[in-house]
Amino acid sequence: MTDKRLRHGTIVAGLLVAIVVPLFLSDYYQYEASEIAVLAILVLSLVLITGFVGQISFCQYSFAAIGAFTVGSLVGGHHWSFWLALVVAVAFSAVVGILVGIPALRLSGLFLAILTVAVALFFDRFLLAPGTWDSFSGGLEPWKIGRPSFVGIGLEGPYAYYAFALAAFVVVAWLVWNLRIGKTGRVLRAIRGSEIAASMIGIDVTLWKLAAFGLSAGLAGLAGGLLAADVGAVSPPSFDFLHSVTIAALATVMGVESIGGAAVGAFALIGIPEILSHTPISPDYFQLIVGVALIVQLVFAPQGAIVKMTEDVKRLIGRSTTDDPPAVTKELAKV
Amino acid sequence: MSLLEVDGVSVRFGGVRALSNVTFHVNRGEIFGLVGPNGAGKTTLFNAVTGVVRPTTGRICFDEQEIGHLKPHKRARLGIGRTFQNLQLFGAMTVLENLMLPVDAFARRGIVSDAFRLPTASFEERRASERARATLHLLHLDGIDDQRANDLPVGMQRRVELARALCLRPKLLLLDEPASGLDARETAELAEALPRIRERFGTTMLLVDHDMALVMRVCDHITVLDFGEVICSGPPEVVQKDERVIRAYLGEEVA
Amino acid sequence: MLLASANFGLLPSYTVIGLVLGGTFALAAIGLVLIYRVSGVLHFGHGAVAMFSTFIAYTVAVEWGLPSILGLFAAIIFGAGLGYLIERFTIRPLRDRPALTKVVVTIGWLLVLQTLAGAIWKNTAYHRPVQLVSRSGFKVPLIHLIIGYDQLTTMIVAVALALGTAALLRYTTLGISMRAVADDPDSARLWGVNVDRVTAASWMVGSAMAAIAGVLITPLISFTTFALTLIVIDAFTAALIGRLQSLPLTVVGAVFLGLAQTYPRAFVSNAGSGEVATFLLVIVTLLVLFRPGTSRVRLA
Repeated sequence: MTDKRLRHGTIVAGLLVAIVVPLFLSDYYQYEASEIAVLAILVLSLVLITGFVGQISFCQYSFAAIGAFTVGSLVGGHHWSFWLALVVAVAFSAVVGILVGIPALRLSGLFLAILTVAVALFFDRFLLAPGTWDSFSGGLEPWKIGRPSFVGIGLEGPYAYYAFALAAFVVVAWLVWNLRIGKTGRVLRAIRGSEIAASMIGIDVTLWKLAAFGLSAGLAGLAGGLLAADVGAVSPPSFDFLHSVTIAALATVMGVESIGGAAVGAFALIGIPEILSHTPISPDYFQLIVGVALIVQLVFAPQGAIVKMTEDVKRLIGRSTTDDPPAVTKELAKV
Repeated sequence: MSLLEVDGVSVRFGGVRALSNVTFHVNRGEIFGLVGPNGAGKTTLFNAVTGVVRPTTGRICFDEQEIGHLKPHKRARLGIGRTFQNLQLFGAMTVLENLMLPVDAFARRGIVSDAFRLPTASFEERRASERARATLHLLHLDGIDDQRANDLPVGMQRRVELARALCLRPKLLLLDEPASGLDARETAELAEALPRIRERFGTTMLLVDHDMALVMRVCDHITVLDFGEVICSGPPEVVQKDERVIRAYLGEEVA
Repeated sequence: MLLASANFGLLPSYTVIGLVLGGTFALAAIGLVLIYRVSGVLHFGHGAVAMFSTFIAYTVAVEWGLPSILGLFAAIIFGAGLGYLIERFTIRPLRDRPALTKVVVTIGWLLVLQTLAGAIWKNTAYHRPVQLVSRSGFKVPLIHLIIGYDQLTTMIVAVALALGTAALLRYTTLGISMRAVADDPDSARLWGVNVDRVTAASWMVGSAMAAIAGVLITPLISFTTFALTLIVIDAFTAALIGRLQSLPLTVVGAVFLGLAQTYPRAFVSNAGSGEVATFLLVIVTLLVLFRPGTSRVRLA
């Protein structure tokens, strides 16, 4: 029970900080804060697919791109309502996620990783390239979207949009947490453990894996759509292949199984380049830092930084836990 | 009347014949023993019945229905449960979670009700944990609900796996060497538990094991496989005296 | 090189370009397969190693103005050294860890090398290629075809190195040890093979081949850090066609990929047509060659 209280305490404290601190920040930092909240949803989509099912994915940004450009083309090109467009965007990315999931069903580990890289490049280099599908990608002109309003409340102000994005993250995190502690989480962990044993007790492995792919892609699409409204415009370079690699690497560093890790990971994704921009070091070195952190971390703390930190804290206050090793580190043993 | 009919089933891996033209019927309510030396094709037969491998030829009928084309999870849902020779518990999960999974698989409860914590979710959660606890109780496994499966001793894990298969409430239970790794006391407990399970749930069982004493004690009928072929079939008293069996299996054991 | 309409007259020269491209892919892919077979690591940073080494050659040959061949040698030495460092300090300590962990480490290297190179040589800038031999060429009679001496050199080098690797594996002690380790590291150790040294050697040879591939490809593609890093995808595709096992099939796959990326450009004017070819090949190869059960390739 104390574990539970510790967790609730952390969540409340984190939320308070997340709500109050940005109030005192400048517009610019409030804007960055909303970007963090949106990216946290994107990292959550990775928690779902990599953390729960144990499938690595390098194309989460591609799914986000589908969300962003669906919103962009519908709102910017056809003047749809943002909310309707967002719903379509989530559905569309979920469908594409399922399509990617179909070949992925037959593959595991390394081969799936290659497939997702191929998908990411296909998006990056072909689908979003000017001239391929301009009514979707916007061609050379970025889509203009602007900020929506939510039940009559305008979200134009930077704090307003931040509050909205934070609320969206909290809701999504709550949903993902519910999945994790419910039947869904149990079934997915069973599939990760042994697909054959899972099917022998009546679990439809194919269906659940596709559902997880669809769900994860849908969440990424949601993040993409929200990001589009946050920035107010979408253009292809924000969704290139290296972004996908960086976010997958960062999620691994932070520990792909933890929802808190997703939030901290998203914070690092925006925060570290921001901090770097105030030092003589160029923010371009961010990916270098992630790369080094990834290598160092895998050699010294394979279960992920956040998991390791919580472990350390628990050990300090005299409570040790044994957690199962994260999916990433054990899943590929069976290829 | 037969619950499981295996008719002329052959399985070939590349050029290797794992099973050749195996035929036998398991009657309802029977504890059916399948014995044979290592490599005789017993596990392959289990895999064919549960859908892990496709037979090259032959028919498998369960409960008056041809099941050869069905996917593994469909067969499980029809009522075929199984334990594994090399334990296949979900090691990182608790015992209770392991046992709830077969109930989950049947539950009309999915991602949506889980995500929003709809009433169906908590209802099904309670139902699953109740059935899991009742099954644990039946096998004298109370009090280990929250232990991680991997932290248990092997003998205990075997019983938990048996309990997990039972949570499916199978009509047919395939037991792949349930006594391997068990000490004499645990084996005796198992021999006592199997008839009790049959009495309680009316479960038909197909048992594979090397422990001839166990097989002779609990089975109503025994079929002997050797090099993928049936060499003898009948009640324990008959099989015990069969020349070929003694040569192929019992003799080898003695030597 | 965008063409609006089909032009069959250009097919012979597209064939030559495709073959040259395929030859360089083959070199990168052979290195990749070598590393994978011996150490069990699918090296996502392979293209980044090729890229960084190639930029060493660029610095030596173009920026410093030294002879191109010196640049090539610098790249080879650098590539081999980098391969050694990666294996020795970030892969070997993970020996008993799952394969995916090692793969993720190579992704870390991809990020590190890509970012460093971007900081040193600028990511977006296009660079003058490292020209080993002159661009001029000779005319092939009867068909409208000019083969550049550089193209010819690339093909010769690619063929020679592919054959050289085959000979290395077949006839030298090192090569035989490599094959032994690839088959079964434990029994190789029992036979007295120094597995650590052989593994390090495979990383050095494989990375050196990536470096050569990188230098040779510079006249053919847009010479940027990112484009070179992505050679790893072409190498993967070719290696997948060889099922990550067979070197001859990998070479066939590489040539096929080179042609598949080149021909569409004769008909469609889209910058990404090469990527589509790669993408489709990856999907088809994965689905056809890696059925469940057959994908159980040995992984250390």
